[in-house]
Amino acid sequence: MYKSEELALKYFAAAMVLFGLMVVFGLLSATHYVQRGFLLNKLDFSIAKIVHIDTMILWLLLGFIGAIYWFLPGELNRETVGIKLAAIMFYVLCTAIVIVALVFIFVQYGGANQFSLWFINQGRKYVEAPRWAAIGIVLVLAVFCYNVIATTIKAKKVTGIMGVLIVDLVPLFALYFIAFPAITNMSVDLYWWWWLVHLWVEGTWEILIGCIMAFSLMQLLGTERRIVEMWLYIEVALVLGTGILGLGHHYFWIGTPSYWLAIGGLFSALEPLPLLGMVVHAVYDAGTLRMKTTNKPAFYWIMAEAFGNFLGGGVFGFMMTLPQINLFSHGTQWTVSHGHFAFWGAYACGILSVIYLALQKAHQVAEVNGVRWRWSFALLNIGMIGMVGALLISGIAQAFYERAIGGSTLQAFIEGQSNPWFMQGMTARLAFGMIFAAGYVILIYDLLAFGKQRISQATVLRPA
Amino acid sequence: MRSFDFIDTALLLGLFVLLAGCYGLFYTIGELRQRRHWINIGYVCFFFQAVITLLIVMCAPLGIGWQLLIIASCIACFKIPPMAFSYLKLIHG
Repeated sequence: MYKSEELALKYFAAAMVLFGLMVVFGLLSATHYVQRGFLLNKLDFSIAKIVHIDTMILWLLLGFIGAIYWFLPGELNRETVGIKLAAIMFYVLCTAIVIVALVFIFVQYGGANQFSLWFINQGRKYVEAPRWAAIGIVLVLAVFCYNVIATTIKAKKVTGIMGVLIVDLVPLFALYFIAFPAITNMSVDLYWWWWLVHLWVEGTWEILIGCIMAFSLMQLLGTERRIVEMWLYIEVALVLGTGILGLGHHYFWIGTPSYWLAIGGLFSALEPLPLLGMVVHAVYDAGTLRMKTTNKPAFYWIMAEAFGNFLGGGVFGFMMTLPQINLFSHGTQWTVSHGHFAFWGAYACGILSVIYLALQKAHQVAEVNGVRWRWSFALLNIGMIGMVGALLISGIAQAFYERAIGGSTLQAFIEGQSNPWFMQGMTARLAFGMIFAAGYVILIYDLLAFGKQRISQATVLRPA
Repeated sequence: MRSFDFIDTALLLGLFVLLAGCYGLFYTIGELRQRRHWINIGYVCFFFQAVITLLIVMCAPLGIGWQLLIIASCIACFKIPPMAFSYLKLIHG
């Protein structure tokens, strides 16, 4: 095994730990809605929510980085350049994450001064990590970019997927710098902040997962390189063509010029079209293979990725993307519903698929199947669909009673939060969140028992 | 515009994309298995998508530009599955 692959397994392990933390803090946040005053002045909703969202971003990011470290040596037939530095940066990143998490949980907040900015919380949603940690993230990303680019140069081999990946690394790295400025004008701040959030999530991350899925399809299904590369080019063009200016759908109601309503509405309305193409592609691949594969969980998670992306990003996104709807739905639980489903479908399922693929090779297991992964697959997806359905009901109630009827006043906000439809939706979300958590526990058990169980039950691959 | 119009519109828009997905799904299954009835189920889904398009254009509080966008999207959704399938068949040889 290459050292790069060993490092990838560590990244996957760290990602799974953060996935668990995300679930725990998600459940705590959900409980806050159902039981008012829950952990008041000990672990307020704002803190639980910060940890929930930040761990979500980080576990996906660690998963992406791990996946690239996993596939890189196989793609270029050589060890990753600078792998020792990469291994050091992994521990630096893990240490930083632990310290930041402890500060978030135990210190929580500070005064409006430079000390808080540097050591407690930068105060900008999704990129709350204090400045010292944000600098650490920049260093980790810089080393990651160096690893990928230097390995490609050293291998003197630029495949189509590697070309797309390297081009994608530039904005992935550069956009994170938007996390740093502390702009006091709220409109200007939000204007640039959305560049980071949207262009990372609906731009660079989409391409990154596209490259990772291209590697996965070659390894899992034996799809020819020319096919995955051709499809990758088309999907990248379509995703970027609709996604970059789809940025405009976040530019509603924050003080940006009104032409953004038309731009945002138009381009994000086009976003489901490439997703429809992906559904056709997924069904085509599944059909031609007749569902036969040596790694059932990886295959099912890839399928879940295609359909989850379509449903979460396409259906749930299109429901609320036109300005006429967005006027009411913006920032309600409706958005939360879309966000949960889209992240799950577009990214989480893909990373889980890669982890199963990596473990199959790491443990040299001929065929991966069993009962546990089916339970975790079912519970995680049922939990997620239930959560987003419940959040959708709460969100529609909130948009209707608080915004359309109440006119977005503070009184309407409070009444909206107490509305029975809203409350029942939030209770159902907590219940489905517990089902999701049960799925996570089984998933971890399945991953931890991977080597032992399958080596004793299945044929072990022997090197030729 | 009535206060609950946006809910109807949002649900219609969600259904619009969902039916497009169902059309793509059944059309591709039908083509792969060479079974006409699966393709026909796909067309039924598209028919309902077209009905939803009509409802959005006639009932939803959207301006003419947005209505045209929805109609154009509906046409694009009709074309994407056959085009994507043909192209996939072509590149898979």
